[in-house]
Amino acid sequence: MDRRAIFFLGAAVVCFVLVPLSDGYAWVSLTVGIVYLILALGSWLDARSHRRL
Amino acid sequence: MELSVILVIGVALGFDYVNGFHDAANSIATVVSTRVLSPRIAVIWAAFFNFTAFLVFGDAVATTIAKDVVVQDVLSIGVIFAGLAGAIVWDLITFWLGLPTSSSHALVGGIAGAAVAKAGFGVLLAEGLRKIGVFIILSPLIGLAMGLVLTLGIYWVFHRYRNVERLNRGFRLGQLVSAAAFSLGHGANDAQKTMGIILALLIASGHAASDASTPLWVVLAAHTAIGLGTLTGGWRIVKTMGSKITRLQPVGGVAAESGAAITLFATSAAGIPVSTTHTITGAIVGVGAARRLSAVRWGVAGRVVWAWVLTIPGAFAISWLTFQLVDLLS
Repeated sequence: MDRRAIFFLGAAVVCFVLVPLSDGYAWVSLTVGIVYLILALGSWLDARSHRRL
Repeated sequence: MELSVILVIGVALGFDYVNGFHDAANSIATVVSTRVLSPRIAVIWAAFFNFTAFLVFGDAVATTIAKDVVVQDVLSIGVIFAGLAGAIVWDLITFWLGLPTSSSHALVGGIAGAAVAKAGFGVLLAEGLRKIGVFIILSPLIGLAMGLVLTLGIYWVFHRYRNVERLNRGFRLGQLVSAAAFSLGHGANDAQKTMGIILALLIASGHAASDASTPLWVVLAAHTAIGLGTLTGGWRIVKTMGSKITRLQPVGGVAAESGAAITLFATSAAGIPVSTTHTITGAIVGVGAARRLSAVRWGVAGRVVWAWVLTIPGAFAISWLTFQLVDLLS
């Protein structure tokens, strides 16, 4: 797995950990976490396609 | 109005001035490093939009600072003075070291430290501090995601465009708008913190009711102070922000500033005091990460993160000591 995807995955985990602490702003932590999950997936697919070329 | 109140208002405006001075780099680093504006014109541009922020945003952040950090009863002229002194000293130390730390978190740490010195840890308001704490972590992550997504979006929209020179010229002009937007967000979020401190002081000294909103003269004075600070802004941090984290092109500058500006607009409207420094640093890292992760100089970014971690405890400790000193002398 490429380093960028791991970094984004770590950021997503941090955001999800913050959800129960965010009171009225839990949706912000959740949304940002989901964005980082998508970025991690995109980054992993990008690195995978580069390796295949 | 008593002389001591006027003196502490002067110190608060001094903090606001130092904030503008310290954070000027955030507003103009990318426009200067991509050579869109000369440093002198860039600071005038940023200062103007810092000042005009009061026309666009309300005082939700000011209210959070004044009422959600510590119990209102504990706020006195001495506590506010010691809190401000801690924040200013911390800002000056990190400015001298060239570290882009957060004036906002220095202020929160400072007020908390002075209040705890007066009446113990029971005066801290968990809910307000938790909101601020969560966004200490979230604001750079939101800025990073915004910078990255906007960069990818711009690349995707313009990837077939072959006239690179014309495109670059367009983005250089675009940076004027994005830098203005970021300065507007900076003025809104950061000037409001000083407004909050002065409002708390007016309430503590009996010059305003506990449910009062911020008087217009306070709004104007705070925005003037931050604008003047930006106008005379320092250059040590420009270097760290503009070139040491990642090398920026005009397209990256537009993405970083727009991403950070959107984050600041949203948090200012929601009354959340976030760090403009954290937000723009995250956005710049996001722009670098859109190319590849190795485009980001993680050593510098890591040094910045350590400075962030130490800001609240550092300002807390200085303010705690200052309050003890003030208490001893009075």
